[in-house]
This record gives sequence, structure tokens and C-alpha cells, in this order.
Amino acid sequence: MNETVVTFFSGSHPYQVVTELLTRYLGFNATGLLTVVTFFVACFVIVNVMALVGGLGTYAERKISADMQMRQGPNRVGPFGILQFLADGVKMIMKEDIVPKDSDKMIFFIAPILCMAGVFATLAVLPFSSGFTLTHLNIGVFYLLGVSSVVGVGIFLGGYSSNSKWSMIGGMRGASQIISYEVPVTLSIIAMVLLGGGLNFKDIVGAQGGLPHQWFIFHNPFTVISFIVFFIGALAETNRAPFDLPEAESELVSGYHTEFTGMRFAFFALAEYVEVFVLCGVAVALYLGGYQVPFELSDTFLLHNKIGLPLGPARILGQLLEVGGFVSKTCALYYVVIWIRWTLPRLRVDQLMTLCWKYLTPIALINLVGVAFWVYYFDGESMWNLIFKSGAAAAGGH
Amino acid sequence: MFDNFLFISSAALTVCGALAVVLSPNLMHACTYLLTSLIGVSGLYVTLSADFLAATQLVVYVGGVVILMLFAIMLTGGNDNKSVNKFGIEKIAPMGNIKTFTLAGLSALLMALVISKIIVNVTKAVPKGELPPFSSTVEKIGELLITDHVLAFEISSVLLLGALIGAALIARPRKIES
Amino acid sequence: MITLSSYLAISFLLFVCGIAVMIARKNIIAILLGVELILNSCAINFVAYTRFVNNNLDGHIMSLFIIIIAAAEAAVGLAIVIRFFQIRESIHIDDATQLLQ
Repeated sequence: MNETVVTFFSGSHPYQVVTELLTRYLGFNATGLLTVVTFFVACFVIVNVMALVGGLGTYAERKISADMQMRQGPNRVGPFGILQFLADGVKMIMKEDIVPKDSDKMIFFIAPILCMAGVFATLAVLPFSSGFTLTHLNIGVFYLLGVSSVVGVGIFLGGYSSNSKWSMIGGMRGASQIISYEVPVTLSIIAMVLLGGGLNFKDIVGAQGGLPHQWFIFHNPFTVISFIVFFIGALAETNRAPFDLPEAESELVSGYHTEFTGMRFAFFALAEYVEVFVLCGVAVALYLGGYQVPFELSDTFLLHNKIGLPLGPARILGQLLEVGGFVSKTCALYYVVIWIRWTLPRLRVDQLMTLCWKYLTPIALINLVGVAFWVYYFDGESMWNLIFKSGAAAAGGH
Repeated sequence: MFDNFLFISSAALTVCGALAVVLSPNLMHACTYLLTSLIGVSGLYVTLSADFLAATQLVVYVGGVVILMLFAIMLTGGNDNKSVNKFGIEKIAPMGNIKTFTLAGLSALLMALVISKIIVNVTKAVPKGELPPFSSTVEKIGELLITDHVLAFEISSVLLLGALIGAALIARPRKIES
Repeated sequence: MITLSSYLAISFLLFVCGIAVMIARKNIIAILLGVELILNSCAINFVAYTRFVNNNLDGHIMSLFIIIIAAAEAAVGLAIVIRFFQIRESIHIDDATQLLQ
């Protein structure tokens, strides 16, 4: 079976005690029941936290853009305006729910839900830490690619069902953009899968280390290019500027979600912000060492035996350190995404397709061959190892 | 327990989606129902412990084929335009009428009888034993693809390249001959 | 509950639905939807048999190729439909009676 968050918790002493107590109390083996309950609680927590992250994303976007334009940004609600997204959320719920008269009702209702479902289903494999990931699925990366392509269908159907020209153009642009950019993104992910030796996020992250020279991005020259291709592709897949053609405000009003109001619009917006977070998380897991902490600080053995913490807190602390590492790297990338949005102008549609098919896809293909060559020829060792070895050999070391 | 739940829900999704594709009068809706049916098939693959195949189904169908279908529906006029072309046939074909549905129902019934005749014998002949436990299929499929089935693998790559070029060539509007 | 016969029944239903769609519809794209259903029903059969009867992965490989071929079929088929629409201004199957325009 695949490792899950339950596997982590069931290794701890209190969990086993609770299982025994429940079994005695209920009169049947409570392992299955407790597994389901633990899973449910974990899913509930992660979904809610990510919804909060999506909300904070809107706040961060406004605050950072304000900072770049020498403005104040939201600063009335709560300290530094940090509760602004709650106020926005309340406003969204209170708004009138308008359904255009000539819209395709059924599709109009399911399109935002498809978007949300596609994005939140990817959270199942996003590796927050070695223990707190919902599941280390053995086809993790592939599953993530498959599920996140539901978002494209949602965007397309949202654009179609509103029965508006702008929405239609936005939806078609969105779908074609997502399909096209999936090709270079997938190719550069396959290169990382080659290095990591598995589709499982645990394998890929486990093959990296905590320090920058152990990360896959600096593993060899090809992976740097691969990271750049992946990042550009991820920007395009999440419809972020400079690739925000599907929702280009100056041309298409607001693209595929022009006609959506209230919570339906909020679903689209939330899906977009959470998807940015998820793709930044994937970039961190694939290229920037994932949840690895420098000097093995999160190691249970170190915390338990050397520092002398009790076993339970040592495990939890280690996991929390890993989560901290992952989230801080992801937030740094998130900052870069917002930074790019507020500095670069938007591309034209033909430029977008040219960039994808004439530049990124061939580069990603050649890169894949390059990484495969590196794995075959240098046995998958990183360039720092090779430099160190040749330096040691030149210095006469044995 | 959980396996049964997964099986029942994905089977229901698959069958209901397929029936809705048959009965839906709107092409766009039919395409959306096809999407649910395909997701249900992917769930069935999971219950058969074919994890790689389930993900492939999602990537190829949901991300590729269904969006292509939706694009084609849009490019050929959607569902609302009811004018007639120069040959006197409706531009947007109807989703079938009573005559075609009767014919289709009869032939489906005939086919159902024939196939169920076969299936009944097959299910009797199958021995019922313990199923092997779940194990990852990714490595084994990879090995099989580059050992036993390498020829089919290479041919399929040629097929895909041909389909790519062919589709681009066919769909491109020709230059107007003077 | 999860037996070979139940999978066969589902794949059978999918196949019949696909055939019904192919016969009943007059719209070329709708007919392509039916083809997708039929291909999927075949793929389910392969995987179910390989799981319940011979326990190796040849059925998975077969289904993988079915998916590949379905993708190629959809791409080329829809390209033909779009080209046909450009020439004939129609996607009615009864309109496709001539080999040459």
C-alpha cells in the first residue's frame, strides 16, 4: 500500500492506545474506523488551510503589488489589513447570485465546481512533509498532472456556458493555453522523474538534500534550464501574467469568469490562487529540495537521541520543521510569481503559442535527452560531486 | 468496505454517464457526461489496481480528448444555430430522432442478447481464487514496454507522430485557389 | 461484489451505449463520442481479465495502447470533422456522401 498520513500517526504511541481503547469500548476492531476518521480530519484540515492560503494569496497579491507601485494596499481591516480577504469573502457570500438568462444552466453550475475539484484533488499528493502528506501515491506526479487538467475543462465550460463573446474567447484561450503548456511542463517533470527514480514525490524529494547544492535545480546544467521551462509553463498553466490571456482585463473584460458572480466567482478565484500555490509547491518538491531541512535537523534520531527530546514530540517537531521548510520555499516562489505578474507586460496570443511550441517544447525535449545522458554517463551524480572528485584527484587525494 | 464503495460509485458514474450520453439532446451536455463516464472508468481502473492506467486515463482523456471534442463542437457552431446549408441539410445535425433511436435501441438489444450469451459462459468458466494484493504497476509496465512490447511501443510513437502531423495538415485551411 | 462478472457487465453496458450513440445520432462529433465509449469498454475488459484471470500486466499494456490509439483517433477524426465543416458548412452525417467535393 501507499504510505499515508495515517501511516505516520499510527506509528505513535497515543494512536495505538486510542485504537485499543476504542476496540475495547466498541466491541469490534476499530483500526479501520480510526483510519477513516484520521484521514477525514487530515483532509478537512488541509483543505481548510489551503483555502485560507488562497485567501491570503489575494491579500499578498494586493499588498505586494501595492508595494511595487509605492501604494499602501489594503490597510483598514485588521492589523496591516490582513483580514481584508475575510471581508472580501463575506462580501462574496452576500452578493446576489446572477445567472444569465441565456446561459447553459447545468454547465454554468458545474464549471466552477470542476475548477475547484481539480485543484483541491491535487492536494492529496502535495508533499508538505514526509509524514504529513495525505498520501505518498506511487504515481504521485502523474496523478497530479492528470487531476489538474480537469481545471482546463472547467475553464472552457465556464467560458462556453456564460453565452458571452468575451467569456467564450477567454475560455477557448484558457483551454488551448493549458493544453499546450502541459507538453513542456510534463517533459521537464519527466526529466526530474528520471533523476529522482520514481513518480512518487517521496522518492523525488528523498533523492535531494537540504542544502542548495544537493537540490535538483543545481544538479547539472540541464536541470537549471528544466526549472526555467517548468516555471514558465506553470505560470501559463495557472493563467498568471504575463500569460493571463484568458482573463485579460483590458481586452476581454475578465475572460471566462466575466458572467460569474458571488460564490461562483469566488470558486474560480480561489481555485486560481490555490493552483498557483500547488504548482509552486510542485516546483519546490521537484527542484528545490522539497521538505528537506539542512543538516538533517528534522531527523527523529538526532532530535530524540542527541538533543534528548521525548520520542513523540521529537517526531512532531521534525515534521513541523519539514513543513516550515517546504512552506517557506513555496512562499518565496509565490512571491516571485506575483513579482513577475506586476512587472512584465502581457504576451499576444500568437506570441504565447510561438513561445510554447517553437521554443519551450524543443528545449524541454533536448533537456530530457540531456538529463538522460547525464544519468547514464555520470551515474546520476551531481556536478558538484564530480567537480569535487576531480579537484581531489588533481590535488593528489586518493 | 472502501473498495466496495469506490467500485460502486465509479461504476455508477460510468454507467450513468454513458446512459446520459445516449439520452442527452444537447451535444455539449453529452460531451460533459462523457467526461463523467471517463472519470468513472478511471475509478474502475483504480479498483482493478491499475494505478498507472488510471492516471493515464485522466491525463489523456480529461486533459486531451474531451477538450478536443469541446473545441470541435465550438468550431462547428455549438448547438443553437439552426440554419440550412447549401445542400439543404441542417448545418447542425440533430442529436437523432425517433426513427434513429428506435433503430439504435433494436440493434443495441440484439447486440446485448448476443454478447450476454457469450458473457454468461465466460463468467462460469472463470475460477474464483484469492486476488493478489495491491502492488505498484509502474515499474513493471515500464519494463514490459521496453522488453516484450518494444515494437508496439515504437510503432505507437510513429502512429502518434503521424496523427499529429496529419491532424495539423487536415485541419489547416487551404489557400484559396484563384 | 468486485468480481469479473460485474466488470464485464459494466463494460457491456458501455459498449451497448456506444453502439446506440453511433447508430442514433446524426452528428459526426456525437458519433465520435460513441466511439470513445466503445474503446473504453474494451479497455475495461482487458484490465479486468488480466486482473482476475492471468495475473500479469499484458492487459494493462493493451489498454495503454488502446488509450494511445483513441487519442490519435480523436485528433485525426476531429480534424477531419473541422475540415468537413469548412467545406460543407455542416456536420450532418447524411451530408458526407461524396468522396470528392
